[in-house]
Amino acid sequence: MKHVGVPNSTSLEVYKSDGGYAAAAQALRMKPAEIVELVKKANLRGRGGAGFPAGLKWGFLPPGRDVTYLCVNADESEPPTFSNRVLMESDPHMLLEGILISGYATQTTVAYIYMRGEFIEQFHILQKAIDEAYAGGYFGKNILGSGYDLECYIHRGAGAYICGEETGLIESLEGKRGWPRIKPPFPAVEGAFRQPTVVNNVETLACVPHIVSRGVDWWLSLGHENSWGPKMYCVSGPVQRPGCYEGPLGITVRDLIYGEDFGGGMLGGKRVKAVFPGGLSMGVLRGDVFPRNAGAVDPKQDYDELDCMLDFDDPRRYGLMGLGTAAGVVVPEDVDIRDVLVNVTRFFGTESCGQCTQCREGSNWMRKIAGRLRAGAGRLYDLDLLEDISNNMGMMPGQSICGLSDGAAWPVRMLVQKFRREFEQHIAAQDPEAAERVLREINPAAYELPIVEGRATRSVGGTFQVPLDACGAGE
Amino acid sequence: MPKIIIDGQEIEARAGVPVLQAALEAGMNVPHYCYHPGLAVVASCRLCLMEMKLPHPKTGEAVWAPKLFPSCQTPVKAGMEVRFESDKVRQNQQRVMEYYLLNHPLDCPVCDKAGECYLQDYTESHGAATSRMVEDKHKNPKKDIGPHTLLYSDRCVVCGRCVRFTNEIAGTGELAVTNRGSRNEIDVFPGVPLDNPLQGNVVDLCPVGALLDKDFLFRQRVWMLRATRSVSPVDSRGQTIFIDHNEHGIHRVRPRYNDQVNEWWISDEARFGWHHVHSADRLRQPVVRDGGQGAAVRWEELPGRVRQEIVQAVGEGDGAGVAVVLSPMMACEEAWLLARCVRELAPRATLALGYVPVRGEDESFPRGFVIKAEKCPNRRGIETLLEHFGGATTDWGGVLHQAVEGAYKLVYVVGGYPDEWVTDRRITDALGKVERLIVHDLFSSALAEQAGVCLPAASWAEREGSFMNCDGLIQPFDRALSPLEGVKGDGQFFWELAGEAGLYRAARVRERMAAELPAFAEVFVPQGLPRHAH
Amino acid sequence: MAWETIDRRSLSEDELGPGLSEAVKAKIRTFFDRYPTRQAVLLPALHVAQDAVGYISYRVMREVAELLELPPAKVMDVVSFYTQFWTHPRGKKTIVLCRSLGCELMGGKEVLAALKEKLGIGEHETSVDGEWSLMTEECLAACEHAPCMLINEKLHKCVRVEDLDRILADPENDKIEVVRSDLYDAPREPGSQA
Repeated sequence: MKHVGVPNSTSLEVYKSDGGYAAAAQALRMKPAEIVELVKKANLRGRGGAGFPAGLKWGFLPPGRDVTYLCVNADESEPPTFSNRVLMESDPHMLLEGILISGYATQTTVAYIYMRGEFIEQFHILQKAIDEAYAGGYFGKNILGSGYDLECYIHRGAGAYICGEETGLIESLEGKRGWPRIKPPFPAVEGAFRQPTVVNNVETLACVPHIVSRGVDWWLSLGHENSWGPKMYCVSGPVQRPGCYEGPLGITVRDLIYGEDFGGGMLGGKRVKAVFPGGLSMGVLRGDVFPRNAGAVDPKQDYDELDCMLDFDDPRRYGLMGLGTAAGVVVPEDVDIRDVLVNVTRFFGTESCGQCTQCREGSNWMRKIAGRLRAGAGRLYDLDLLEDISNNMGMMPGQSICGLSDGAAWPVRMLVQKFRREFEQHIAAQDPEAAERVLREINPAAYELPIVEGRATRSVGGTFQVPLDACGAGE
Repeated sequence: MPKIIIDGQEIEARAGVPVLQAALEAGMNVPHYCYHPGLAVVASCRLCLMEMKLPHPKTGEAVWAPKLFPSCQTPVKAGMEVRFESDKVRQNQQRVMEYYLLNHPLDCPVCDKAGECYLQDYTESHGAATSRMVEDKHKNPKKDIGPHTLLYSDRCVVCGRCVRFTNEIAGTGELAVTNRGSRNEIDVFPGVPLDNPLQGNVVDLCPVGALLDKDFLFRQRVWMLRATRSVSPVDSRGQTIFIDHNEHGIHRVRPRYNDQVNEWWISDEARFGWHHVHSADRLRQPVVRDGGQGAAVRWEELPGRVRQEIVQAVGEGDGAGVAVVLSPMMACEEAWLLARCVRELAPRATLALGYVPVRGEDESFPRGFVIKAEKCPNRRGIETLLEHFGGATTDWGGVLHQAVEGAYKLVYVVGGYPDEWVTDRRITDALGKVERLIVHDLFSSALAEQAGVCLPAASWAEREGSFMNCDGLIQPFDRALSPLEGVKGDGQFFWELAGEAGLYRAARVRERMAAELPAFAEVFVPQGLPRHAH
Repeated sequence: MAWETIDRRSLSEDELGPGLSEAVKAKIRTFFDRYPTRQAVLLPALHVAQDAVGYISYRVMREVAELLELPPAKVMDVVSFYTQFWTHPRGKKTIVLCRSLGCELMGGKEVLAALKEKLGIGEHETSVDGEWSLMTEECLAACEHAPCMLINEKLHKCVRVEDLDRILADPENDKIEVVRSDLYDAPREPGSQA
């Protein structure tokens, strides 16, 4: 990311003047297998969210194949992530060099850059860079005299989060709706157009030239165990300096928000209520010290979670799904947590592709419940219900084809668990009559019919009026 | 056959099938929607999930894996152990069933699928008693998507079977999923309706009442129907079907699984090719014409009368002036009885294969389904019999040619075609010359009006017997309905004509035939599948 | 009404909407040799078509289906899956406002409410004068500039309610200054053809 802010950083000339494409020239003199080995040794883990080792992925390609496709995942749609956008608009040739080297390593015949449709300016920038690269002999036939041929095209998406999932991306590339495929077969064996295919994130590929040119030792000097190398962090929300910053893996969330080189602290000196540190789907960290039980703060169990390190392992200790995209959005103290829940559930409700039942129906049900909570017609039971729904979806428990479902469930579960007392306070503060009016508006049918056990609000899980004392667990 | 353990029970599975199919074939009730053995596996309904034992990554010991696996996507492997009877699996099933009902209108009282609906069945067996949703349902529209089909998309569970069917089996691709997420709907492109020769199958495929057959719409509750195993007479393929009927007649025709012929599907011709059975124009009364005026005659008199006609036509000769036209719409047993009887009375009588209707060319579909151009069920069966009886045999053209030459004193024509077939004047001209004409047919025609004896025939649904299909496969069909009032089953009439007492039973006739024709010793009855196994 | 049945068997000439010119079809064909299958050209084709016509009409779907040798239902399937494709006419300028968490925290909701009021339209609607259309998108991946919105091609960053009048009044508010690739065109006036 060294070229952000450099004038004309997008041009081939500027990129080359700073040693650009030297790594490519070096790589093309090596054997493809050597590069794969190198990347394996560097333990380059995918920067797209799941953290799967790139070298391993390349190693799954079957031997003796004629055609291989490389799909570059530039469908960055996980809010609030924008590192790929920054990279592509300021340093497109670094990506292209990464594509060239990775393409050579995997003996790719055609590389497709799947770019989300909302990137319009970035498309033109990248397309111009590709045109330059073709003219400079970095794509096309017999690249740099090595006898290796590679075509590179941009494929524009059109507004679907699910197309960032690798098999959803492949389906979309093939001109279908982006419904993820069942695995096996894995894309490395049978992917785009039924041929072996590698899908890598933009940032992952942009790391490859650096591993080649600066060596594995340099790479392993950054970060720590299992999480080597630099990472592009994003921070947004009400911080002093929202933006995209590069740092070694393993900085803490506190650094990200308050560090001079990163977020630079909160706007107006507000306190942090919550942080989604790896994109919405990875879950939420508590930024405040909100007592888990009523009464005083218990320092043993009540602490804020901002010391979570952003690497591939530490977030799991805090109940997060993983590092994700390492893009944090900070929720300040004065925001109603119900608004956050509404936003999160709406996002996944809209973006669920609708293939697996649990995700299709569950994500929208959660959105409806969140809306009702926000409208002031919540029940305590809804919190249990939200947890129950979110516990019954996801790829990890086996209930869906892809990971979107986990991503839809995780933040809801985290929000409800970590902010349960705040939700309970809101519910307790509701005016029960107004709540009932709201519910009547939402679903008149539930009231105009004779009340059947389980249908009516009152019979399942209690009433709208709950004394706060009654909500705490076991005290 | 690999052995696998399901819920502690060892079963033998067919190699290469998914665990779900093995469980279903073993008679287990595993809920599922999107899976269908005849279509690609998409594993999207997530209802058939199971637990599976896998080797522990550290110890290598087989332990229950923490996640659930789709049983429709997991092929059987010898020695594998899976279970459906566990809390985890049951909880998932219960939740998914709840999800399906979130936006389902629950309009079973007016739904044609009620009674055979997977959503009803699985809610009963695997679902929860109540829903926890208090919000309003969203309602998808009802759509008219084709000449034969309605789509009530509010009932749809988006299993995608119908879409895969039009893509994979029919190859026409009229149906598609539109929109995204919980707004998913099945739809056709406006102005390009669902209209292909196999489209009716999507209604059978639909596990719920979303796709509806206009022909069956609001016609009957399915539990009022009886299903009779039959073989479709519409073409020479021998598609096996169920005739669903009750005391009011036939209400619909459904495919009957047949691994040798039509698998899970039937053509629309077969599906809708029963309306002639209830046509008001059918012949209902045997008529005898002695020079001009026709007179009704009682069935009891007819066997004797027909025998007398034949005997008189033979006279002192050897019966060379007698011809019997065996229709390819007849069952093998019926044709055998008639041919044998006539050859007894007139040893040198000509046996002829009747008119073979052919329309267009054979139509093939991507996965091998074929609609034959030959629109009759038993040409090969009749040919086999003609070969067996030997002597003077010919075909329909031959009969007409000889008739013009004046070679026949008596011709017995069996028809039984569902549509008008005496359209050519040459037929009436040729046979008009014959002194004694006996016509045995479903509908009145110029030919029937010329006949000295005109017998009303029964339709295939009112008869029993067997058809030999275009590939030589002999398949029996049962009688669904009693013949129309005033009509006698063709087989029964030939039985009486042959001088036999009692009732005609196709199986009994087949036993006798087998003594001379070993091919008829065994007929092919496709093995049925357990309910819900597709 | 819930008990009424929508007729999907026929489509009148009016409902078909505008179609593609030969030039646009030729442009779609230039994408053919980039992919091993025809179907894969669908997304680029729809982008090109929408650039030219303004939205994806039924006629466009039918013509694209013909070009790519697909059943038209498959094209409709894809069009309806992706939020960027409009199936009804749009205004000259389309505002796409981000509503993801980052933008919402920074005042996106207020901007949306102000836009609705100023333009007098709701989401996925077009103003009476045909000037503006409005939609929201889940994330525009420009969270550091929250709240952000696109007007046609141009991304407006850190939009505040008080800036809206100025932004809406600016005639150049939808133009970007880049070296354009000629693969995809800038949006045109509705009705005009490439």
